Amino acid sequence: MNNFSFYKGSKALYYLIFFGCFLSFTPVLAKSALRQLQSNPQQNVVSGIITDGTNPLPGVTIAIKSKANSGTISDYNGQYGIIANELDTLVVSFIGFKTALIPIKGRQTISIVLEYDTMVLQEVRVNAGYYTVKESERTGSISRITSKDIETQPVTNVLATLQGRMAGVSVTQTTGVPGGGFDIKIRGQNSIRSDTNAPLYIIDGVPYASDAIGASRTATTFPTPTSPLNSINPDMIESIEILKDADATAIYGSRGANGVVLITTKKGKAGKTTFTVTASTGAGNVPRFLKLMDTGQYLAMRKQAFINDGLSQYGPLDYDINGTWDQNRYTDWQKELLGGTAQLTDFQGTISGGSETTQFLVSASYHTETTVFPGEFLYKKGGSQINLNHRSEDKKFRITFSVGYTSQNNQLPSYDPSYEARSLPPNAPALYDANGNLNWENSTWINPLGKLGSKFETKTNDLIANSVLSYELLPGLLLKSSLGYTDLSTHETRIIPSTTGDPALGNDSSISALFLNNTDRSSWIVEPQINWKKELGLGKMEILFGATFQNQITKRIEQSGSGFSSNSLIYNLAAAKTIRVVRDEEIQYKYQAFFGRLNYNWQQRYIVNLTARHDGSSRFGPGNQFANFGAIGLAWLFSNENFLKSNSWFSFGKLRGSYGTTGSDQIGDYQFLNTYTTSGVVYNGVIGLKPSRLYNANFGWETNKKLEMALELGFLKDRIFTTVAWYQNQSSNQLAGVPLPGTTGFTLLQSNLDATVQNTGIELSVGTTNFKSDAFNWTTSINLTFAKNKLLRFPGLESSPYSQQYRIGEPLNIVLLYKYKGVNPQTGIYEFEDVNNDSRISAPEDKQTLVDLNPQYYGGIQNQLSYKRWTLDFLFQFVKQKSHNYPMDPAGMMSNEQERKINSWQQPGDSGTYQIYTTGYNSDAITGESFYAQSDADIADASFIRLKNIALSYDVPLNLKQSQCKIMLQGQNLLTFTRYKDGDPEYTSGSFLAPLKVISAGVQLTF
Amino acid sequence: MKKRHKISNSNWKAIPKTRHTTPETILKTLLLIVVITFQFQSCDSFVDVELPQSQLISTTVFEDYATANAAMTDIYATIPNKGIYTGALGLGISNQLGNYADEITSTQNPNNPSLNFYNNSLLPSNTTVTGFWNITYNQIYAVNAVIEGVATSQNLTMEQKEQLTGEALFIRALLHFHLVNIFGDVPYITQTDYKKNSTVSRTPIGEIYQNCIVDLQNAIAVLPDPAPTSDMERVRPNKAVAQALLARVYLYNKSYPQAANMASAVLNREALYALEQNMTKVFLIGSKETIWQLQSGSAGLNTTEGAFFTFISGPPPLISLSENLVNSFTGNDLRKSNWIRAIYNGTTTWYHAYKYKESKSTSVSKEYTIVFRLAEQYLIRAEARAEQGDFIGAREDLNKIRHRAGLSDTTASSQQEILNAILEERRWELFTERGQRFFDLKRSGKLDSTLTGLKPGWNTTDSLFPIPQTELNTNPNLLPQNPGY
Repeated sequence: MNNFSFYKGSKALYYLIFFGCFLSFTPVLAKSALRQLQSNPQQNVVSGIITDGTNPLPGVTIAIKSKANSGTISDYNGQYGIIANELDTLVVSFIGFKTALIPIKGRQTISIVLEYDTMVLQEVRVNAGYYTVKESERTGSISRITSKDIETQPVTNVLATLQGRMAGVSVTQTTGVPGGGFDIKIRGQNSIRSDTNAPLYIIDGVPYASDAIGASRTATTFPTPTSPLNSINPDMIESIEILKDADATAIYGSRGANGVVLITTKKGKAGKTTFTVTASTGAGNVPRFLKLMDTGQYLAMRKQAFINDGLSQYGPLDYDINGTWDQNRYTDWQKELLGGTAQLTDFQGTISGGSETTQFLVSASYHTETTVFPGEFLYKKGGSQINLNHRSEDKKFRITFSVGYTSQNNQLPSYDPSYEARSLPPNAPALYDANGNLNWENSTWINPLGKLGSKFETKTNDLIANSVLSYELLPGLLLKSSLGYTDLSTHETRIIPSTTGDPALGNDSSISALFLNNTDRSSWIVEPQINWKKELGLGKMEILFGATFQNQITKRIEQSGSGFSSNSLIYNLAAAKTIRVVRDEEIQYKYQAFFGRLNYNWQQRYIVNLTARHDGSSRFGPGNQFANFGAIGLAWLFSNENFLKSNSWFSFGKLRGSYGTTGSDQIGDYQFLNTYTTSGVVYNGVIGLKPSRLYNANFGWETNKKLEMALELGFLKDRIFTTVAWYQNQSSNQLAGVPLPGTTGFTLLQSNLDATVQNTGIELSVGTTNFKSDAFNWTTSINLTFAKNKLLRFPGLESSPYSQQYRIGEPLNIVLLYKYKGVNPQTGIYEFEDVNNDSRISAPEDKQTLVDLNPQYYGGIQNQLSYKRWTLDFLFQFVKQKSHNYPMDPAGMMSNEQERKINSWQQPGDSGTYQIYTTGYNSDAITGESFYAQSDADIADASFIRLKNIALSYDVPLNLKQSQCKIMLQGQNLLTFTRYKDGDPEYTSGSFLAPLKVISAGVQLTF
Repeated sequence: MKKRHKISNSNWKAIPKTRHTTPETILKTLLLIVVITFQFQSCDSFVDVELPQSQLISTTVFEDYATANAAMTDIYATIPNKGIYTGALGLGISNQLGNYADEITSTQNPNNPSLNFYNNSLLPSNTTVTGFWNITYNQIYAVNAVIEGVATSQNLTMEQKEQLTGEALFIRALLHFHLVNIFGDVPYITQTDYKKNSTVSRTPIGEIYQNCIVDLQNAIAVLPDPAPTSDMERVRPNKAVAQALLARVYLYNKSYPQAANMASAVLNREALYALEQNMTKVFLIGSKETIWQLQSGSAGLNTTEGAFFTFISGPPPLISLSENLVNSFTGNDLRKSNWIRAIYNGTTTWYHAYKYKESKSTSVSKEYTIVFRLAEQYLIRAEARAEQGDFIGAREDLNKIRHRAGLSDTTASSQQEILNAILEERRWELFTERGQRFFDLKRSGKLDSTLTGLKPGWNTTDSLFPIPQTELNTNPNLLPQNPGY
């Protein structure tokens, strides 16, 4: 039964210990090579100041040519001092500047002016996960943003920072409530199952599981259960790289199909110890409301509905219109329930510094955010990050250690009143009575503030630690091991106290309920690697070989309790009369792989990059666990060819392409077993067992083949730089749970579906330096993506469960709809095209009009302007897309409607835009409304252009040499231009709060 | 060449040292290669995982009575909480069919899940209707899994096998019986193979009844007799429970002699079952009238029906008993005074079902959801006798129920009068008990005549619910949709 032994399971651990020991004695060896030759007696201190022409440059490396370990670093004022021989030459280098070679020639004071290096973009080393690659030499498709762009955004979720900034990366926010989730798609939807398109997240080399940690029973405020990604603190991030094509992702094998998000945290820098303190505060509001009926329009609608239904009397329960409620009252419920201001505050402090050999960074941050709902709700997030780097004097041994800890406490209402805000009749009663108590208006309505008394609280603590040890065994041969550990625990509670309901119902604490969810997830990973670099012929060869051992355990317990002796004991599960354990499980996920890379760069002109991975995952049954993935990437830097080298306007040209396979194992754990699960329900003293699922052990990897061609061009010393990429990804052997009819007992079966999904697209990025001078600089970057998703192959689609969801040759994100014809002038009911002419409207026959809800194109335009001490950065995001209108109840019932519905049909001969009102009795109208919501008439243009982010900062002139003070003003979602009428166009999750508009102001001090 | 020279120059100090450590280095590299190769060979085992602690391999479940029994009791536990029988949130048929017919009035609040039922405006996408279908077939899957698991079990005793199989067959018949009355022709599922179950066609009504009858006869053959009076809880199905259902199935199937016989088989167990003469005690746990009831989840919990139907002040939040029902009672009917409660707010009076009196938890559970009780068996036999021309016997059974309700003997004399009286009596006796009123009107062909006019949204085709749209999409063999949708 138990096919897991301690010996086998701990093998990787043993490996780790071995490797650790191996590396730990290397510094001792390394030190032995430390004896410097002190042969020249004529040593002087050379000092001076380094500037860029106007401002001093701190952190510049000054070394003596041909002398190892001689370097120093300029201080915050650009001052440096170095002991040197009078005949030596100084090598002065700094990122972003041309390296200067300055012969000392006996001088003791040398002021140095560094020149900006316009080719810098191409020199940046890009993180590709297991290796880094110079921007100019990369063969794969990697997008990147850095702290420069992240820090200007007043957001708390790492995915928010990516919106509109990268070609091929589409990010949407699912709720405006703090702590809510985001949806990311890198180059479109690959899997037929919509919830398995998450990319792989890697933080400093440690995979970070993005699977939900919350439970749908507790996290009712969010459209999807709580995501762990909120634990990542954007302030701590140095850069985010997104790997998109086969060349970049194949080395991540079975987990690379949906792209890889590499997050690198900030690292300490050598130099004087600097302190940075940032404080900011801001305000958030709902940017757009729906235009709804006022009381007059609403009551007119209701009266007409009664007339239409032939009802001469208002019912005893029609309080809005039968005189029970004040018919002159008007409340804008959206303003009342969603119109508040969320307050945001942010503090952050960083200390960093160190010597040439050892650097450190310690950082702490604290963030609070309230909601726009009435009531006291608060999201708190605190975190700290520690980073240590050390290398031995001879540069052979290196160790990097990073640990990040984040703690979140999110107190929210357990429900989002957005639906009530849109549907409550405008003459519904006041929220409070004259005494300031909740008003229940003699039990004629459900006071929405009552519901806000049910609370949802989540506490999450998250630790991510990693260490990379490396040792250069021989010149060019590097042994390396990355060790990572993550530990996340979340505790969610939701309470429904009896006091949330109408007191007239006489409910007491015996109906109060508590829901609990605890998730603990910990994982370790060990990745030993060998790197070898060698000049070979006229080129350079790089070889990498490595292995991965990963183990992740998720423990989860979900409980509920009801019936408390007092509401003050509601958080105490032990005080509940009835306690249920809904779920108690421990899930183990084990993963193993071997990977390699071979890169050959011939004269910086021709580059071949081969990557491969042999992968095994515990998510599959015996015989299906392992698979191989690989890719080839090619690049031709034709600007380095002789015939182009001396061209004055053409500065860079590269043609690259890649092809390879990746996979996806996102199917959940243990799905290949035929099991019964404890249901947690007691009957006659026996705790029940229920069948877990339909049994099918025979499924394997989803395969994704990626092809890409790209052209990168730089003009005028790269002042204009463009990249055009074309890609085609095909995902087959779909790991989709196949929907089954309910008669099978379940509605889903785990299996590989023999279907192919293709994503193709063109991604365009342009970066320009429009103006450049000492005082004024202006740069622009533009990204634009045209993407097309297509279901390529699906044998037997007609007779499959997906027959009414997908169409071959069409995108996955289509909807099949009725074709709307208009309002019947005689009956006043919506009419639809009877496709099969059987004189009735029915699904699926008549529901065949196809609408694609994928964005046609999307992108962003970012401008950065700086004038002396001022910097202005703004980003416009744009999306061309269609979306559903906001769904409302049939007009005429006791529920508010969009104002546009006043134009309804009233009597035969009318040609209203909207159908006849009904109180709910006209079943033709109810059916008509339902068809309407599933027809093409309900689809609207939801394209938008949005001022996603704007940031203005001013560097306050201080006379203090050591200090810097920056004042910042930042805004998010400030302006939106759209034709969409029903609220926020970006956002698609029905009756949940839309993303907020945020303005914040802050100060940053550095000393 | 130039470049190479530079490299060696800058590292000239390192080279002797590296040379010095070469043998050691080679050794270490070799060791590493060995370790990696070793890992390669044993890589298959690294990704094998332990069996999850919270799950049990299916075949082992049925090798032990405790776990096999747990697989069966879990089905009883789910029935009062989800699917067609649930009272929770009024989502089951006791409330929804009450709304659909003439027992219950719903508020026009669009959030009220009963509203579409009350307005008779169900759509194939209705989530409650989809739930009836999917959850019921999930429960049917679970009983079929028990039947198959028990059949291949090596370790269970014959007695244990018979008991579990009998119970599973009974539940299978019970669930299909409700499906056929709600949806018309539905697939009768008797095995767990999804390959077959995903392409099934609809079974004609007559065949479904035949299957129910066979399943129940088989269940009756193996189920134990009801335990002596010591078992007051009556929460496990036994022979009498299966007979009670079979009596109802025969009646609906118009097999009147068999219906009368089966009802008699239950009624004749006089030592065990008797009409509870105190009207306030009929629905208590210890009631002698109870044939089978579903235990509430845990100690102190009472029924989901009690929690849902009760309101203590007017106006009612979601539903109340229809005035039509309340006003139909005649004389001093004890059922009206004991099983219905009036709520008066100073101007208006509303009524709620008060059969179950506990709407909240109590220190010890007082009420369970009763599925079969003796009164229905008298009414079944009365009807079956009347249909066969045994008017005396029919009246005798009918009067047993009337006397208990404080009413005098029935005045009905002709067959039609007696049948009408029985229909009316069933309405008063069985209101809000799992949609019996709707089923009675339907099988007697009186749906249209009773509901037209009374229910503005009523259409003849509303006698059947729509087959869920998702089901028709995933299994086209179930097409066409029921008429009217």
